[in-house]
Amino acid sequence: MKPPASASWKAPLKFRMPTAENLVPIRLDIEVDGQRYKDSFTWNPYDPDSEVVMFAKRTVKDLKLAPGFIPQIVQSIQSQLADFRSYEGQDMYAGDKIVPIKLDLRVNHTVIRDQFLWDLNNFESDPEEFSRTLCKDLGIEDPEVGPAIAFAIREQLYEIAIQNVTSARENRINKKGRRGAEHFPLSKAGGAALDLMKLFNFRSSVVRKRKEWDYYKPILDLLSNEDVDALEAKEERSGR
Amino acid sequence: MAGKSPVKKAASSDSTPIPNPNQFKPPQISTKFTSPAVKSEISSIPTPTPVPTPTSRPPPSQPSSIDADIIHVPSHSRWFSWEKIDSCEVRFLPEFFDGRSPSKGPNLYIYYRNSIIKLFRENPSRKISFTDARRALVGDVGSIRRVFDFLDVWGLINFSASSAPSKPTKDTANNNKSADAPSLESPSFAATTSKNSSTSRRFCGACKSLCTIACFVCDKYDSTLCARCYVRGNFRVGLSNADFRRVEISDEAKADWSEKETLLLLEALMHYGDDWKKVAQHVGGRTDKDCVARFIKLPFGEEFLGDPYSKETESVFETNKRMHLTPLADASNPIMAQAAFLSALAGAEAAEAAARAAVTTLSEVHDTTASKGGRGSLARNMRRDWHLAEALFLSGAEADISSNGDTNLNAPGRTYVDVNSLLEKEEGDIERAIIGITEVQMKEIQDKLVHFEEVDLQMEKERQQLEVMKNLLFIDQLNLSFRRSYALESEEQGVDNVKADVF
Repeated sequence: MKPPASASWKAPLKFRMPTAENLVPIRLDIEVDGQRYKDSFTWNPYDPDSEVVMFAKRTVKDLKLAPGFIPQIVQSIQSQLADFRSYEGQDMYAGDKIVPIKLDLRVNHTVIRDQFLWDLNNFESDPEEFSRTLCKDLGIEDPEVGPAIAFAIREQLYEIAIQNVTSARENRINKKGRRGAEHFPLSKAGGAALDLMKLFNFRSSVVRKRKEWDYYKPILDLLSNEDVDALEAKEERSGR
Repeated sequence: MAGKSPVKKAASSDSTPIPNPNQFKPPQISTKFTSPAVKSEISSIPTPTPVPTPTSRPPPSQPSSIDADIIHVPSHSRWFSWEKIDSCEVRFLPEFFDGRSPSKGPNLYIYYRNSIIKLFRENPSRKISFTDARRALVGDVGSIRRVFDFLDVWGLINFSASSAPSKPTKDTANNNKSADAPSLESPSFAATTSKNSSTSRRFCGACKSLCTIACFVCDKYDSTLCARCYVRGNFRVGLSNADFRRVEISDEAKADWSEKETLLLLEALMHYGDDWKKVAQHVGGRTDKDCVARFIKLPFGEEFLGDPYSKETESVFETNKRMHLTPLADASNPIMAQAAFLSALAGAEAAEAAARAAVTTLSEVHDTTASKGGRGSLARNMRRDWHLAEALFLSGAEADISSNGDTNLNAPGRTYVDVNSLLEKEEGDIERAIIGITEVQMKEIQDKLVHFEEVDLQMEKERQQLEVMKNLLFIDQLNLSFRRSYALESEEQGVDNVKADVF
């Protein structure tokens, strides 16, 4: 157990996703023999390793991909899981953190853009439930949007959590004490969180300013087929 | 059947047609239990819930119209209903019901299950793949896959008449002992009922070592793995645990037990009870260990034949015995499933050794309650073995004891219950203590408040007094200044008396 460098802030916790379920976001982008497979989903890291193989096999079978995909998928998933597990043993600094989460996704015909604040300290939070509620409230009919939203949220939370791990390590090295805890020189998200903290002191009110209303509400667009094709072509070009 | 839609019987399986929910009439379901021995296995599954009308209440919002009017569901899935969760679902998918993670609850399970089934029923002629399902669902793919597999196995999705035959064959391959539907999760139930193949010597395909106790055979790719390689997952990428079945070597190497030998074994047991050496002699050609091993593997119904000791005074124990042994056979109970799985993995000898160790330790504790008579009877010993082995596993596991288990456990169960009640008492005490503490603190706060009020009042009074004093002072000063001015005036007039008055 690594002792905290200074006793004046909260003891760092073991790294984990700041959600009710400790699930890992996995992103796959594999190209074999001219076939490109892109996917993203959440994975439970406590599933046995045989699950990875089984999942890869089923996916390849279901999507009728070339069998050469299987080892690549397995390897990609396992390496992402290994990354996650490598962070798991380390400490994570968990201070007062309210971070903005941004959504900017296109899933089939639906485009959704949104921004909201998320409490990183709430380890009972559930991106899946949030996404289900959001889809229901906005009346999104395409069932693939939900998982994409949940995944995007989870991915951002994961990245922020990773930054917390590295910043915890830096703080211990620098030994700045409480002052150090409040400076996150490298992480942008930390900077954003800090501003929000200043917002929420007793001098200002909790009600959002009018000019910020537009940023914080969800924007939903339904595209026609031509728009979808155009966007996809553009993405592919920029991807290459 | 009184309903308007005819009962369509699929060629090789029992299926019950369930009319399209949009039709809004409760279907009368009649199932015909026809013949083959295999089917009887399926149809003898206990249906604890009353036979429901699965689609008598239409699901919340069926988006598109369903082309096929009739949706087929196999008879062993009669229990399905949109709003309810059946006990077999709880058994097969305990992760949603054990309360370990707060967000993974029965609601989540219902959401997954209903969405997958709806997705399938939108186009029943087409099989949905796991990837389709998981793309549309929010959640971690592992759980979705398990729900999907469960529904697939039970025929609630991807079920059409042509695909039915595949299930019965799986049944025979997997479970002889259990009466329930095939379970994908623990294929090593096949442990004792494997189809023995002819070769007596087997080498592992991965590590090239001679397989001794047990080996695992994959039928798909026809490969053999030793137990170690299997447990380590040392197989090809395309395979998984489910593809292997366990094949006992020690049994095989010495050929199967013939009917005669089994009969001799039972006779010997009747006569000699615990004395395995004599039993082995009687059977002839088998060591005592073999006899024990074989005896354990027997379907226990046979044990009830001709057990002289148990008939007279221990009829009570017999019924207990039945209850003890059937849970073992009922592989769907998750704890017993685990127990059987672990014992299969460890091998019958190791499980037996563990059980015997459990006997010695636990019998010391539960000496008085465990056995009434002083007679050492084979049946009682065996029963005790399993009974205590079961208790051992249960005490290790942390799941709740199902109603089956409750009736089975005598002494260990009672202590468990006692411990539980003690725990509850403790918790109650702690709660009361906490309540007391909070009350005291509230009183403290109240006292402080009262005190502050008093202080406040006093301050007010003092302030008022101060005001009064200030006023008086002001008046005095006024007086003083008037008189001074008066005095000055009179001075100017040159009158001395006024001066004297002022001072």
